[in-house]
Amino acid sequence: MIPINDFLVLGTILFSIGMYGVLARRNAVLVLMGVELMLQGVSINFITFAAYLDPTNATGVIFAIFVIVVAAAEAGLGLAIILRLFRNRQTANVDEADLMKW
Amino acid sequence: MGMEQAWLLPAIPLAAFVFLLIAGPWLPRRGDWVAIAAIGASFILFFPILLDLQDAVKHTEGFVGGGKSWDWISYEGFNIKLGFFVDQITIVMLIVVSSVALLVQIYSVAYMRGDARYGWYFTVMCLFVASMLTLVLADNLLLMYAAWEGVGFCSFLLIGFWWERRSAAEAAKKAFITTRIGDVGFLIGIILLYREAGTFNIQEIIHFAQAGGYSSTYLAIAVLFLFMGAVGKSGQFPLHVWLPDAMEGPTPVSALIHAATMVVAGVYMVARMLPLFEEAPAVVLDIVTILGLITVWLSATMGLAATDIKRVIAYSTLNSLGLMFVALGSHSVTAAMLYLFVHGFFKAMLFLGSGAVIHATEKQDVSELGSLRDKMPITSLTFALGAGAMIGIIPLSGFWAKDEVLVSTHHAQNIFCYIALLASLAVTGVYMTRLYVLTFLSTPKDHHVYDHAHEAEPLMSVPLIILAIPTLIGGLFVFHFFGKALGFPGGFTEFVYSVEPEKFKFHVDVAVLSTALAGGGLILAYYLWEVRPALVDRIRTTFKPIAILLERRYFIDDFYQFIINRVILGLSAVIAWFDRTVVNDTGVDGTAGLGWFAGRELRLTETGKLPNYALAIAGGVVVIAILFLVLEV
Repeated sequence: MIPINDFLVLGTILFSIGMYGVLARRNAVLVLMGVELMLQGVSINFITFAAYLDPTNATGVIFAIFVIVVAAAEAGLGLAIILRLFRNRQTANVDEADLMKW
Repeated sequence: MGMEQAWLLPAIPLAAFVFLLIAGPWLPRRGDWVAIAAIGASFILFFPILLDLQDAVKHTEGFVGGGKSWDWISYEGFNIKLGFFVDQITIVMLIVVSSVALLVQIYSVAYMRGDARYGWYFTVMCLFVASMLTLVLADNLLLMYAAWEGVGFCSFLLIGFWWERRSAAEAAKKAFITTRIGDVGFLIGIILLYREAGTFNIQEIIHFAQAGGYSSTYLAIAVLFLFMGAVGKSGQFPLHVWLPDAMEGPTPVSALIHAATMVVAGVYMVARMLPLFEEAPAVVLDIVTILGLITVWLSATMGLAATDIKRVIAYSTLNSLGLMFVALGSHSVTAAMLYLFVHGFFKAMLFLGSGAVIHATEKQDVSELGSLRDKMPITSLTFALGAGAMIGIIPLSGFWAKDEVLVSTHHAQNIFCYIALLASLAVTGVYMTRLYVLTFLSTPKDHHVYDHAHEAEPLMSVPLIILAIPTLIGGLFVFHFFGKALGFPGGFTEFVYSVEPEKFKFHVDVAVLSTALAGGGLILAYYLWEVRPALVDRIRTTFKPIAILLERRYFIDDFYQFIINRVILGLSAVIAWFDRTVVNDTGVDGTAGLGWFAGRELRLTETGKLPNYALAIAGGVVVIAILFLVLEV
């Protein structure tokens, strides 16, 4: 059996890559993609624990499905917002979209 | 209709007050007839109650009064009842209040004619009469206190009736605040009595005390607080300063409120609670006597120097109130109530007489009046009767009452007290005669005033004549045959008493002494001011410091003003500073400033840049994770 650590490391790597993308990227589409990666890293964690610690119940798996559904919806919404931003300002750079400040 | 329906007496003027308050301005004659009709109804309804009481006294052994009470608050064993109570003391007060109020109202129609607030005057008078009758009829201290404050409030409104005049506004304020000092004591006394007895009902409290429910020190403190209320309301030393200033109000107000009714409320209250005072250590009644005696002497001597006609009568009122308290201090409800009864009529008559003078001459300083006897014969005659009663000339009503006070003092007090009281009669004789001589005899000092003076119109002179009747024949009430003929068990002393009825006895020694002193004062004053006026000025120059002391009212008012200016305003300034800098600037503004400052600084973190927010979230998570690791929660 594959040790549980391998899956957890995979989840952590995915989460970290996603976080790097969110923090470092300036393009809104890439930031959104980073968020997706973070979500999937978390999903892997859920499924891993579900499979190893509590195989009879499917709680963790159902959570993962929920995460996927929410991620899909969020991607659709996020992309729509980015589209409006680009239409209005001819840019998808998040640094330039800073009207909501003090 | 009987004692159980006694609540109607205050209810009718109260209804008239509410009606006048709403509809007054649209009524013909501004509704003065409503007020007079309401008070007249109360006066008429007094008689069925009197008959019922006479009947009850006749047929009940050991009658202690009747009435009716209702539940006010009733909640799981906590029960407060309010009600009305009629006994012999109440009846004496009721007849004084209702009859003098009616006469004063009729007089006021003429006196107040043409005043800008004519309707308002009658409206407030209705409220006053309602409050006063409630005070008299209340069977418990709570209702009595409410009415007590009610009459004080009406007194404030009526003293300051002409509030455009600064002195009137100030006098109203002074009266209100001074009596309020006493009222606070009264309230504390009521609370102290209630705390142990668990009831506000006066009769129950008295029974509780007589059963030994209070410890003697506790009772002494409680009744002294009660007495404080009486001191304020009845103008006893050291709270007497408001009454002379209260003369700023219209003269009928002075006659009703500051002579016949409200100021004797303190006497009435002490008379009603006298069993409590007697249960307490003897020192309590000694304090009552001493304050009464001080008031008698202070007011009588200040009356010698006052030149305002109404002020002199105000001092004579203080003098009379002091006498009543000396009587109460001598355990004699009978003497105090007899004096209260006759005083109500002759003092109201004196005030109404001075009102007639003021109305006719528009002057109230005796240095501008004089020789008015020829111009105002009726006023002059009734005024002479009132002054005579005040001095205690036989056979006027004041003589009998004052002698009763003297006899009770002679029985209950030491010889010094008795002599002091006797000696004050001479001073009373001097200043009342001086007032009469300077106003109605001697020579006219201001010829313009003299030429324009005229007799009062019938609406004013008829009440004067009616008031002269009880002044003339009031003394008859002490005799057995007269009381019997009117349906009472006997004379006044057999009807109103605290322990047991006593047949009236004429004490020749007291009568001779008092008549000699009062008559001596009268003759001396007549000689000084009528025959040898020049001598007065010489006496004044010789004893200048004393004259100044009297004219400045023993500097008591100045002393109080000094205390107010230095101590009270000084303390207030400190408190104001504390309030402004500590409470307001630091406490209130500081808290607001902190929020404002924090908001101003923290808003800079809102950069609007997405990566900053993302970093804050990620960093926050890391920090929380580290914290959890370190703290090992």
